[in-house]
Amino acid sequence: MFAAPGVANAADSENSIIVSVQDQTNNNGVSEKKPVAGVKVSVSNPSGLAVGEGVTDSAGLATIPVPAKDDYVVTLDIASLPSGVTLVEGTKTVVNIIKDSFTTNSKRVTFFAGSSGESGASLFDRIAQRLVDGIRLGLIIAICSVGLSLIFGTTGLTNFAHGEMVTFGGLIAFWFNVLLGIPLLIAAPLVIALGGVLGLAMNGIIFAKLRKRGIGLISQLVVSVGLSIMLRNMYLYQFGGRTRPLDDFSLQVAKSFGPVSITMRDLTTAIISLVVLLGVAAFLQRSRTGKAIRAVSDNPSLASSTGIDTQKIIRVVWFAGGALAAMGGVFRGLDEQVGFEMGSGLIFLMFAGITLGGLGSAYGALIGGFFVGLLVELASLVVPAELKNAPALFILIIVLVVRPQGILGRKQRVG
Amino acid sequence: MDIIKILENTISAFFGIDAAYFALAAIGLNIQFGYTGLLNFGQSAFMACGAYGLGMTSQYFGVGMWWGILIGLALVIILGLLVGIPTLRLRADYLAIVTIATAEIVRLVVRSVRFKEYFGGSDGINSFSSSFRDLSPFDPGAQYGFRPFQYSGYSLWTMIVGWTLVIVFSVLVYLLMKSPWGRVVKAIREDEDAVRSLGKNVYSYKMQSLIIGGVVGMFSGMIFALDRGSVQPDNYSRDVTFYVLTALVLGGVAKVSGSVVGPMMFWGLYVFSDNFLRELTKDRPFEIFGIGIIQKSQVGPVNYMLIGLGLMLLMTFRPQGVFGNKEEMALDGR
Amino acid sequence: MDAERTYTELAQRARAALASVNASPGVAKPDPILLAENVRRNFGGVTAVDVQHLEVQRGSITALIGPNGAGKTTLFNLLTGFDTPDTGEWMFDSKNLKKVVAHKTASLGMVRTFQLTKSLTKLSVIENMKLGATHQMGEKWWNGLLPFRYRKQEAIIERRADELLKRFKLDHMRDQYAGTLSGGQRKLLEMARALMTNPRLVMLDEPMAGVNPALKQSLNEHIRGLRDDGMTVLFVEHDMDMVHDISDWVVVMAEGRIIAEGTPEQISANPAVIEAYLGTHQGKSLLEEENA
Repeated sequence: MFAAPGVANAADSENSIIVSVQDQTNNNGVSEKKPVAGVKVSVSNPSGLAVGEGVTDSAGLATIPVPAKDDYVVTLDIASLPSGVTLVEGTKTVVNIIKDSFTTNSKRVTFFAGSSGESGASLFDRIAQRLVDGIRLGLIIAICSVGLSLIFGTTGLTNFAHGEMVTFGGLIAFWFNVLLGIPLLIAAPLVIALGGVLGLAMNGIIFAKLRKRGIGLISQLVVSVGLSIMLRNMYLYQFGGRTRPLDDFSLQVAKSFGPVSITMRDLTTAIISLVVLLGVAAFLQRSRTGKAIRAVSDNPSLASSTGIDTQKIIRVVWFAGGALAAMGGVFRGLDEQVGFEMGSGLIFLMFAGITLGGLGSAYGALIGGFFVGLLVELASLVVPAELKNAPALFILIIVLVVRPQGILGRKQRVG
Repeated sequence: MDIIKILENTISAFFGIDAAYFALAAIGLNIQFGYTGLLNFGQSAFMACGAYGLGMTSQYFGVGMWWGILIGLALVIILGLLVGIPTLRLRADYLAIVTIATAEIVRLVVRSVRFKEYFGGSDGINSFSSSFRDLSPFDPGAQYGFRPFQYSGYSLWTMIVGWTLVIVFSVLVYLLMKSPWGRVVKAIREDEDAVRSLGKNVYSYKMQSLIIGGVVGMFSGMIFALDRGSVQPDNYSRDVTFYVLTALVLGGVAKVSGSVVGPMMFWGLYVFSDNFLRELTKDRPFEIFGIGIIQKSQVGPVNYMLIGLGLMLLMTFRPQGVFGNKEEMALDGR
Repeated sequence: MDAERTYTELAQRARAALASVNASPGVAKPDPILLAENVRRNFGGVTAVDVQHLEVQRGSITALIGPNGAGKTTLFNLLTGFDTPDTGEWMFDSKNLKKVVAHKTASLGMVRTFQLTKSLTKLSVIENMKLGATHQMGEKWWNGLLPFRYRKQEAIIERRADELLKRFKLDHMRDQYAGTLSGGQRKLLEMARALMTNPRLVMLDEPMAGVNPALKQSLNEHIRGLRDDGMTVLFVEHDMDMVHDISDWVVVMAEGRIIAEGTPEQISANPAVIEAYLGTHQGKSLLEEENA
C-alpha cells in the first residue's frame, strides 16, 4: 500500500470512515463476536484515487479520515486476515458508500468473519445427528400440537394462545423445581395436571362463554391473540427476560452412540414423548372417550346428533391439550432452558405441523408435528441455524397450495 | 407524582409520530381486515418492506433514497402474492397462520447474520435518510411549539409528513370504500359465495385488498424508519401487527375515522399508562397490602398485558369500537 | 287451474316445444339451453349425483324435484361451478362449462340462488341490488379512487335497480339494511338481485323454503314473469303445489339419478315417482296407509 496524496487534507476534516472487522463464529447456534485485529483496509474515491488506509486495532476498528461526506470505496485486504479467520461466505471485500449514508460525521462499515462451527464431522455424521435432533424436536412438537388440532376440530377455534400453554408448563416446572426445590420427577406430573387445569380455565372462563354469546370464530381467534399477548407479558412480568435452566438434570454429558451424541436426559424425554404419543394414539383409537373425541373433531354436528355430549368432549379436549402442552413445555425446558417466550417460538412450527397433518385430525397433528420437527432440524444442514425455522413456512405454503386439507384432513373444512 | 408531565406526554402522544405511523398501518389493516375480512397478521412484514426498501437504497443498492418507494412497492407485491396465492381461496384462519409465520420469517431474515450485507442484521440500517432530512424546512436541532406540543425540528418534519400521508390515505380509502369496488369487498367479507354467484372474481378482489392494504402499511414502515433515522428488525415483530389491530378495533373496524382515531387513542392511553406507572414506581415498587406488585422494570410488561387484556375485552363486549357501527360488523358468521 | 292463465308468446313457444317431447328420463329437448352428460359426484363412497343425460328447454320453467338427499342441490352446485364433479361434461348455450369456476358461470348468464338465502345483511337493499350489476367500471380499484369515472354508470345501474325493486315490491325498503327484511322479502331480494346480472338461465334453489303462504302466490307470479321475459328458469322445490302451478316441465331425481321427466300431470301419475317419494312405505298404496 502506498501513502496517498490528499491524506493531509483528510486528516484536517472531521469526517471519517470507521472500518470494523468482527469474527462472528457460530458455535452450534450461539454466536460470539470477537474483534479481528491487524487487518489492512483502505479507502478510495470512486475513480480509484486513494484517500486513506489503516489497520484494525485490538477492538477490530480502523478509523480513516476522509475529506468530506461523499461517495467512497472501502476495500479490505483479504491477505491480511489472520490465519484461520475467513470472511463469512459471500461477503464482498469491496464496499461502496454513497454520500447519503453519512448521517453523522463518521460512517461505519463492518466486515464479518466467521464460520458455522461444526468442523470435522463428515456429512453422514452430521445428517445422523440432525436426524436424532429432529426426532426429538418432532416428538415435542407433536405432543404440543395434538391439543391445538383437536381444539380446532371440536370448536373451530384456531387457538393463537397455545404457545403460551407450552410456556406455562415450563415456567411452572421452574417454580416447583428451582424456587420450591421439589424434584422434577415429582413435580412434573403436577405441572402436567396444572397445564390441564389451565386448559379447562381457558375454555371455561373465556371460550365457552364466547361460544355461548354467539361470538363468531374470527372474533374468538382475535380474542385468543389478545390472550396470547396478555399471557406472554404476564410471564415476562413474573419471570423476567432471561432464560434459566431447571435445577434437575441440567448438567448432562452427551453420550455417543456411533455417529450421534445425545444426553441421557434427552434420550429419556424422547422415549417418554414417544410412549405418550403412542398412548394418546391408542386412547383415541380404542377408548370410548377417544372415539367420541375423534367423532366430534371430525364432524361436530353429526356427532352431537348421535348423542355425544359435545360440551363435555370439548372440556376433555382442552384439558388434555393443556396437559400435553405443559408436558411439552417441561421437556422443552429441560432441553433448551425456560423462558417467557419458549412456547411462543414454537407456535408456528405447531401450525405448520397441524396444517401438514390436517387441521382437526389428532393423528394428523402427531404425524405433521413430527415431520415438521424433523424437517426443521435437517434443514439446518443447509440453512444457517438462525433461520432454521424458515423451512416450516415453506412447508406451510407448499401444503396449502398442493393439498390444503393436509395429509389426514377433510376437504370440506378447508373452505 | 408529576401529573403535569404525565398529561403533557399523553396529549403530545395523541398527535405524535407513533400515532401517525400506527394510523397508516391501521388504515392498511382496515382495508384488509375491517372491510374485506382478511386476517392479515403480517402487516408488520409489509411495514418492514417499506422500511427496508428505503434502507437498502443506500446500504445495498447505492441509489438515492426515493428509489426506496419503488423497491418497497416491489417487495410488498411479492410478499402479498407469496402469502395470498396459497391462502386466499381457503378459510380465513389459513391466512392468519401463514401471515404470522411470514412476519416471523421476515424478521428472522432481516435480522440474520447470513443476510447482513443486505439488511444490516440485528444492528439494522442506520443511514439513509439524509435526502429526507434535507427537505425539511425546520432546523433539526431547534425546538418548535409550546408545551405540551413541543417537538424538535426533525420530529416536527416527520410528523407533518406522516400526518399528511394519513390524511391523504384516509381520503383515498374513503373514496375507495364508497365506490363499487368497496361494495364488492364489503360483500365478500360477509358472504363470498353470494358474491361469486353474481359473477365477481372473489379471489382477485381479496388479493387486491391484501396488496393495497400492504402498500399503505409500507408507507407506515417508511415514516417510522424516517423518524427514527434507522431500520431496526425488532420493530417489525409480529406483536406490532397485534398492537395495530388493537388500536384499529379500539377506533372502530371498517370505518376510516376508526383507523385514525383508534391509533391516536391507543397511543394516548398507552403513554398515559406507561408514564403513570413509571411515576408510580419511580422510587419504590407499587404495593398492595404490603406486597410489591409492580417494580419499575416491570412497567413495560404490565402495559403490554393491559393491551392484550384490552383487545380481549373489546372483541367480546364492544367489537365495533368507538366509531364502529354494530349493524355493519360482519366479522361473525365465518 | 291453468285455464284462465294467458301465456306470452315466448312462453307459448317454449310450452309448445315441450309438448312434442316424450316423457322419459334424459330425453332430448328441441332447443336446450343447458345440456349435461355423465355428471357424477362421489362423496366418500356415496354417489351423490349420477346424471347420465339432462337437457333443459330454453325459455321454459323446469322444476327439479325429488326426495331429500336426491342430489338436487349438489347438481346445482356442479352445474354452476360451486363444486367439481368427478366426471361429466355440460354445456350452457353451447359453451362448454367443464372446469369453469363459479363466478365465471354467473358472468356467462347462468345465475343461481341459494337454499339458505344469501342476502347481504350488512348492505342496504339498494346496495345489494347494485352489487348484482355486471361490468361495473367502479369495481376496478383504480376507477374506485376517481368517482367521476363511475358516477354515470352508477346512476344508470341505480335506476335499473329501483325499477326491479318496484316490480318486486321492495322499493319502500330500499335504504334499509337487508338484515331488517323478513325471510320472504329476503328471498325476493335475492331473486331481484340475481336479475341484475341479466341472466339467461335463472337457477333457484328452493325459492319457497321458509316463505309464508301469503307470499307464495306473489313469488309464483314473479317466477312466471321471468319466463315471460324470455329467461329460462330451473328450480328445485319440495312444494308440490307450486310445482304443479307454474312448471312447464318436471325432472325427478332420486338417489342421484334422474328417474323421470315430463309435464306436471304426467309426473304425478308416474308410478316410479310415487315409489321414490314413498319408498319407505314398501309399496303400499297411499290408501292403505291412511286406513292403517
